[in-house]
Amino acid sequence: MKICRYLLLAALFGAITLHGQNKQLLYDFYEIPQSLLVNPGVKTLEKWHVGVPVLSGLSFQAGTSGVTVNDLFANDGIDFTTKVRERLIDGMSKRDDFSTTSQIDGFNIGFRGKNRPDDYYSFGMYGETDIIVYWPKDLAALAFEGNGGANIGRSFDLGDLSLRGEMVNVAHFGVNRKISNTLTIGARAKVYSSIFQFQTIQNFGSFRTSQGQDNIFTTSITADMKLQTSGVEGIVDILEEDTGTTQRDLAKLFMKRVLFGGNLGLGFDAGFTHQLNPQTTITGSVLDVGFIHNSKDVRNYTVSGNASNEGITVFLPEDIPNLNNNLWEDLVDELEEAIPYEENDKSYISFRPVKVYGSIRYNFGEGSVFDENCGCGINAQGGQNDAFYRNSVGGQLFFMKRPRGVQAAVTGFFQKRLGSGFSFKTTYTADKYSLTNIGLGLNLQMGPVNFYILGDNLLGYQNIPDSHYASLQFGFNIISWNDN
Amino acid sequence: MRRLFIPPTLAVIIFFLAFSCAEKQDFNQFDDLSITPTVASSLFYLESEEQHINAVGDLNNFYSQIVNFEAFNEQFVAENLLEGTITYEIENTTSKELSITIEFLDETGNVLDAQVFDVDPTPAPLFSLEVFYGPGGKNIDILTTTSALRISANNLGDSTSVSTLPEPKLILRSAGEFTFRLK
Repeated sequence: MKICRYLLLAALFGAITLHGQNKQLLYDFYEIPQSLLVNPGVKTLEKWHVGVPVLSGLSFQAGTSGVTVNDLFANDGIDFTTKVRERLIDGMSKRDDFSTTSQIDGFNIGFRGKNRPDDYYSFGMYGETDIIVYWPKDLAALAFEGNGGANIGRSFDLGDLSLRGEMVNVAHFGVNRKISNTLTIGARAKVYSSIFQFQTIQNFGSFRTSQGQDNIFTTSITADMKLQTSGVEGIVDILEEDTGTTQRDLAKLFMKRVLFGGNLGLGFDAGFTHQLNPQTTITGSVLDVGFIHNSKDVRNYTVSGNASNEGITVFLPEDIPNLNNNLWEDLVDELEEAIPYEENDKSYISFRPVKVYGSIRYNFGEGSVFDENCGCGINAQGGQNDAFYRNSVGGQLFFMKRPRGVQAAVTGFFQKRLGSGFSFKTTYTADKYSLTNIGLGLNLQMGPVNFYILGDNLLGYQNIPDSHYASLQFGFNIISWNDN
Repeated sequence: MRRLFIPPTLAVIIFFLAFSCAEKQDFNQFDDLSITPTVASSLFYLESEEQHINAVGDLNNFYSQIVNFEAFNEQFVAENLLEGTITYEIENTTSKELSITIEFLDETGNVLDAQVFDVDPTPAPLFSLEVFYGPGGKNIDILTTTSALRISANNLGDSTSVSTLPEPKLILRSAGEFTFRLK
């Protein structure tokens, strides 16, 4: 009953999404209008659709490619410090990450052109938060173990510090055009309004303590590190204020930035669907090719330089003129001068994390005749249309640009259609987060009302704290099917 | 046909959502986390040519210096220092017997601790000493209340002899390894 209540609440509050960046279940699930958001060139079947607008609600997804909550906090009797050392400090690599992505669909509307029925226009607005923090392995080891003892001689890589995050509101408008019976293409223009953004840029450096040339140890540091932030200081300032209006001030700032009062950017999506033969279809899309010009509320932090020291050094008689009581302070000052920490407010460009999808689908199992609401109007060509087939099997690829290179995922899927009102899709996905990711998506059409639910990594539900990845998406649409 | 698939599919989804499990977690374990890094750094290096020692004169103090050293009594260090080891190495290739004294002073100039090294003339082996502060060793408060070091070096021999070794000199090396409790 609880589930039903939650579903009902979700229905009342509209479409709520909870998913990772890879939306393998939604991709090419063209019975769902939101599939336009992951491929603007997807086959469109509707005359028009309206996503039930969100009135309130928050969705959240978290993933870790390394240690899970259960790995650390299971009540297993193992000393916690030992678990941290073995599973976190030693067990994770700098390519492991903690990431979270959430997206809230504000509204989503689509309609077919009156004069150009081959065109399907869609527009809307959604908010997206995406944060990824790579495990700073060497810095964590430095904090946990220090540079002494067994770490004498070890070079700690300061470049391990890599993170990126942003909250952005996206207004979008897309055109989907059926070029021929076998080719559909589409593009979507996006205007980004940033609420906040932060990123490290190619951090580089090392910290090493080794046997000294003169003294017992020499400690050397090389650093070229930068953290860029925009929109963060304004939020922090409000949080630090003790005025009793924090909540109101935050809401005001948030609304201003959501409504294009923050840092703005532009981007686009593009995609296609090409039917190779009546039973085989390939698709592809590229999403979020865009940037944001961060010029407001910018604060950047840099540490750059190199230095090495062997403590206070006195050479006699050369240093006699320089001897004073402040040799230690002089040494500290020298180091600070050699590796200065600076702040500035220079504007910068941040690029959106580009995503690329590709898929191949093979249809089989001929279906029955279409009924009026088959959802196949503009693309229906009898046996020429893959909606004619009951079953589909295929594979999908997903690539996403991340701070440490491209993150990839491969998916195999099976889709089943049962008449015009029900279809489901099941997927197996392998990526850095999980090799046992089985997902299940369900699309229900009840008259004009469309309901879909897509659940990912279902095996992770056996023990949620031990799951590397969790994702759930569902929503409601009102759809009018083509009658031409 | 639909009847065949809808109920099982719904059942599967409801099963996963409704019957998902969560092994019991104990987040209080975080209180038991112990982070005690060991920080290593060279402290002080003194090198004096025999020529300079001779120039100052026999039985004379050829180096004496108070160095303000606030690193230990910084609030964080004072509150979190668990133990420490200071290593000294002395190399004397001069022809003279020397004496080196390192005194740890508090902020009013009182001597908290002193290390005195009598150094034989060459040929003398490399002298090395590790001094431990903390449980079982010297009082850790010596380090946490030290705000200055007084280093002095004395010539206990003559001011004319010169070692036959190339570039005769006195070298004092020192470094510390200190363990802190961060958590």
